Amino acid sequence: MSAASVGFEILEQIESLQQTYSRALDSAAMEEWLDCFSREKASYVCIPEENEKRGLPIALMLDDCRERIADRVMFVNKIWVGTFEPYRTTHFVQRLSVEKIAEETYRQVANFSIMISPEMGSSYVLATGRYHDVVAMEQGKAVFREKRAVYDSRILPRYIVYPF
Amino acid sequence: MNANESSGAIAQHVKWPHNINLVPKEVFGDPDIFEMELDRIFYGPEWHMVGHMAELPEKGDFKTFDLGRRPILIARGEDGKVRTFYNSCTHRGTQVETSGCGNRKDFTCPYHQWSFATDGALVGCPGTSEFTPGFDKANYGLRELRMEEFLGLIFVTASKDTPPLMEWMGEVVSPLTDVLCGDGKLKLLGYQKVIYASNWKAYNDNDGYHAPLLHSAFRLLNWQGGKGRQIATTTGHNAIEAELSLPKGESFLKDPSLIEFKGTDPKQGSRVVQLFPLAVATKHLDTINLRFAIPRGVGSTEVHYAYFGLESDSEEMLLHRVRQCSNLLGPCGMISMEDASIFQRVHLGTFSPGDVEFQKGVKRTDEFWFDFKQNDEASFLLKWEHYRKLMSFERRQEA
Repeated sequence: MSAASVGFEILEQIESLQQTYSRALDSAAMEEWLDCFSREKASYVCIPEENEKRGLPIALMLDDCRERIADRVMFVNKIWVGTFEPYRTTHFVQRLSVEKIAEETYRQVANFSIMISPEMGSSYVLATGRYHDVVAMEQGKAVFREKRAVYDSRILPRYIVYPF
Repeated sequence: MNANESSGAIAQHVKWPHNINLVPKEVFGDPDIFEMELDRIFYGPEWHMVGHMAELPEKGDFKTFDLGRRPILIARGEDGKVRTFYNSCTHRGTQVETSGCGNRKDFTCPYHQWSFATDGALVGCPGTSEFTPGFDKANYGLRELRMEEFLGLIFVTASKDTPPLMEWMGEVVSPLTDVLCGDGKLKLLGYQKVIYASNWKAYNDNDGYHAPLLHSAFRLLNWQGGKGRQIATTTGHNAIEAELSLPKGESFLKDPSLIEFKGTDPKQGSRVVQLFPLAVATKHLDTINLRFAIPRGVGSTEVHYAYFGLESDSEEMLLHRVRQCSNLLGPCGMISMEDASIFQRVHLGTFSPGDVEFQKGVKRTDEFWFDFKQNDEASFLLKWEHYRKLMSFERRQEA
């Protein structure tokens, strides 16, 4: 099923969710990032394409339950405070497809590229890749049940603080 | 100037401080010194950890890597034996394999179609009738490097003067055996690869030595409370043997499985082994991690974090290791992200004049000793002394 055959209102809601997601990360608002995920069943995985292609399960970030996603918020906001140089990101997301896979449940694939602007130096590309998402409508609101960020870059250009 | 004269000039120019707890900052950021390091250390009489057998379990499996700037190809032949070659065609020098890993029946250079078997032998080269008189394919196999194996770890050296591997490793054999869980029968779980904007020595000085002041996560894990010791050798290797005593009471994590220990190994604890110049092998809780590193330039170090389970692991145990490795270690790991940040800041700071100081655990500044506590930074002084000697930097006489 192509994007065109999913209702306009649903597409709007999914788009709005992705906008909230990007805005949360680009302003380092980790609690708002957490709010993008389902309270019932949530998973966030950020994995290099090299591992994905070879069937190797190690990820850069593997938060396969809501508790782990909440713990990641705590790493950034509490454990790592003062140890990393703050940086800001700019997400560019381009939807490739949306399909309905179950009642009130949709699969979205989208390209992403993330620019990084460190405190010192010029902006550059931090990572590019594809999101493979499962979005559900819960209490009339779109939330991520699964977000899988598969990044193409064979080698990351630096250490990473914020999710992709 | 030839290479020797140029090295001599650099060696004279560097004034190494008299006190043994000081290292001149200029050795971190000087491109000429970096070139000299490639020659004397990375192509010199040291072993370099470039892989583990578990990364290429099947016949025809291969992995490419770099020894300094030299491209290498590690391949398991049809005979089951693993060999390491320079990844360069014996004809015109073209890089033969471009993938990071894979499986091949043979390796074919696209330039003139010379093809090499997985054991390195030249098996095809069109047009030999017009080659030099007496051309013999047998003389044109891929050039092989000296290689030795320890519990599946693959070490290579470009020098014929490097001592045998076991002798070279010395005292760190024991903690390295612990990291590899006794027999080295590992299963590859995947990689995290990253480039740090740091000189390789600043990376190496700050990877593995887990200052409890830096790591709040380690404080939460009661790292300081554990009993531990460090081993340091005059050949530049270091190892930490420590216990992680897990916090009691309510966890600071909503999902405490991140720091759960499920292994059956009675020696619950941590091992960090650093092999001169740049290899690191660690075991924290149920993670088994080998770090293969490449000095890309004077201010750039590439690190491949490779994670492993055991061949004998159950599916449940493998899943536990994957969940723990992914979030605990590497360039985004709960207990290691801060390291990554520090590498770059140490590197940038070394462009200021003067010396880097070692203080914690320094008992004296005029000669070396060999017993170190778990969190002493003084244990790295033996590595620096080994480095200084390899580079022929003279220590100043006066304090």
